[in-house]
Amino acid sequence: MSHVLEIRQLTKKFGDFVAVDNMSLNVREGEIFGFLGANGAGKSTTINMIASLLRVTKGEINLLGKNIEKHSKFAKMNIGIVPQDIAIYEDMTAYENVRFFAGLYGLRGSLLRERTEEALEFVGLGDKSKSYPKNFSGGMKRRLNIACAIAHRPKLIIMDEPTVGIDPHSRNYILNSVRKLNDMGCTIIYTSHYMEEVEEICTRIAIVDHGKVIAEGSKEQLKAIITDTKEIWIGIRTDEPLNLQALKAIAGVTAVLQEENTIKIVSKAEINNLNRIIQQLIKDQVEIRSVEEQAPNLETVFLTLTGRNLRD
Amino acid sequence: MNIWNIAVKEIKSSLREKRTFMFMLALPLILMLILGSALSNAFDDTRTVGDMRLLYKSDGTNEQVSTGWHAFITAIENEGVEVVQAGPGTDGNEEVRADRYTGYAVVSDDGIEFYGSSKNAIGSNILAGMLTVFADRYSLASAAYQVDPETALATITTAGQNDEFIRETTLHPNKKPRSIDYYAMAMTTMIGLYAMINASYLFSGERTNKTAIRLMAAPVSKGAIFTGKVIGCTVINLFFVLVVFLVSKFVFQADWGNHYGMVILVLLTEVVLAVSLGLGISFLFKGEGIRAINNIFTQVASFAGGAYFPIDQSGGFISLLSNFSPLHWVNTGLMQIIYTDNPTGAWFAITMNVSFATAFIIFSVFTVRRREGAFV
Repeated sequence: MSHVLEIRQLTKKFGDFVAVDNMSLNVREGEIFGFLGANGAGKSTTINMIASLLRVTKGEINLLGKNIEKHSKFAKMNIGIVPQDIAIYEDMTAYENVRFFAGLYGLRGSLLRERTEEALEFVGLGDKSKSYPKNFSGGMKRRLNIACAIAHRPKLIIMDEPTVGIDPHSRNYILNSVRKLNDMGCTIIYTSHYMEEVEEICTRIAIVDHGKVIAEGSKEQLKAIITDTKEIWIGIRTDEPLNLQALKAIAGVTAVLQEENTIKIVSKAEINNLNRIIQQLIKDQVEIRSVEEQAPNLETVFLTLTGRNLRD
Repeated sequence: MNIWNIAVKEIKSSLREKRTFMFMLALPLILMLILGSALSNAFDDTRTVGDMRLLYKSDGTNEQVSTGWHAFITAIENEGVEVVQAGPGTDGNEEVRADRYTGYAVVSDDGIEFYGSSKNAIGSNILAGMLTVFADRYSLASAAYQVDPETALATITTAGQNDEFIRETTLHPNKKPRSIDYYAMAMTTMIGLYAMINASYLFSGERTNKTAIRLMAAPVSKGAIFTGKVIGCTVINLFFVLVVFLVSKFVFQADWGNHYGMVILVLLTEVVLAVSLGLGISFLFKGEGIRAINNIFTQVASFAGGAYFPIDQSGGFISLLSNFSPLHWVNTGLMQIIYTDNPTGAWFAITMNVSFATAFIIFSVFTVRRREGAFV
């Protein structure tokens, strides 16, 4: 399978701060590629370099075999970007928004009109083409945000958190749209803070931390990294932040994280340390409501590898 | 083509913005009407430019020059200009500086040197205009003298008898700005300056809308985006200015003189200056800083530039401050076009506008080229 995107030893520095550190990865044609990282991991900086919004400090990015810095126009013509923030003009109708942005990609006349209508139909806004986005729900705005990125039929679509803050119906619509775009031959880079979305639609995933890819592969390959790992969720009465240092010191524990009134503990599977964990919590006067052992999932993988939650 | 798309998008967006319409059209027209009506008496009683005093010194030995000069003096005295010959030891320049005379002319065989009062710009321009016509006529006659001395001499000595100097250059005796005339001009130029507010949000607005990322991700150069936006902003603001100008002329019957082309050229360069100034501010400041600078600058510049009432140019802090307001030089230029019938008098304003605009545009272009990311 050929590579749509090749990133080679990519580095981006802002002064002394290294945002992306010698990163290499490939995105294959026809993939929905999950790009995961906590805030500040270097994910957005990488996406911005792929979209030619930021200059590369070192290394190279090739799109369809061409260096994006040397062939900037070619790269831009073949990339569609769905930004995390809704990027549309409120004072222009849905049709005018899509038409304006598609027009920037060189589409003209009847072709421009056809592609604009097609993109709006695709996201389910065909009947709202003359409406102004200020009258749209959050989900409809998100869909229009996608329409503006696909009317020029890019080979690679970068979707940066396309489902943030929307209702389940719109979320399902968008996830189905992503699958349909993929079926139509688009390669997609998908970032999200919702691990279940990534598990549901991505064919391959890269986990980024401190500007580096720390794991890459299919869901199964990533889960295989942690076959010797178990995840214990302990429900507690309080959602006040607790000092969890003592838990981290228990033999076998590799990561501890509190999410409101749940403590998530990642531990080596072969070490039976549940009793010690519970004893420590009782000693710390933490009121326990429930204890359950979770089957390892991508969340566990992420927590194990980064020590952080994806939503951090 | 993308430049055109972007410019059209800017124009459409502005035309759909009701607040912009209110601010750029309704506000100046209402103010024009209110101030023009409320202050009509004050203007009609006080705006006279009749007290012009010319001090001169004649060093010429040439009889033709002397004859012509005296004919000229007689002619302009008939039009109400008081002409006084400087006594020995009189420092003419100092007399003008002290505002005792509108202008000081030194006549010699080589020509006329004129020193005009900056405190009475209109009066001194009128005198300068008269002197220019005299000098031109004299030069012509001198050339003719080589061929036909008698006719040439007659031309010089009879010049001015039919008010020829005056007819060509003077402020028409009955042509004084009424309050509606003044405020038509002042409000139109004030709205031209307000283009800087729209311009300052040209790029920062894309940042706020989050659309900058989409523009930058498209296969369009920064230069095309910049040019398209600047053209769109300039066109729409010039449109607002022209609407105010036309309504004031045809509805309020304001006097804009006879040189409409020149008036529009001055207004165009003012809008270009305001747009480039707004751009400069948007790249120098961020967020609330842009709003604060806009508010302060437009208000101070409007006040000092005479948007709300004419500024006394006889000295003092406000008079000094007014020199730094673009409205001051724009309004002065327009006054010269309208009331001295002297379109070339606006070249100073045009030059100032274009020079500052060029500087701010260069700064903005340099900043855009240097910046990474979503450029704003």
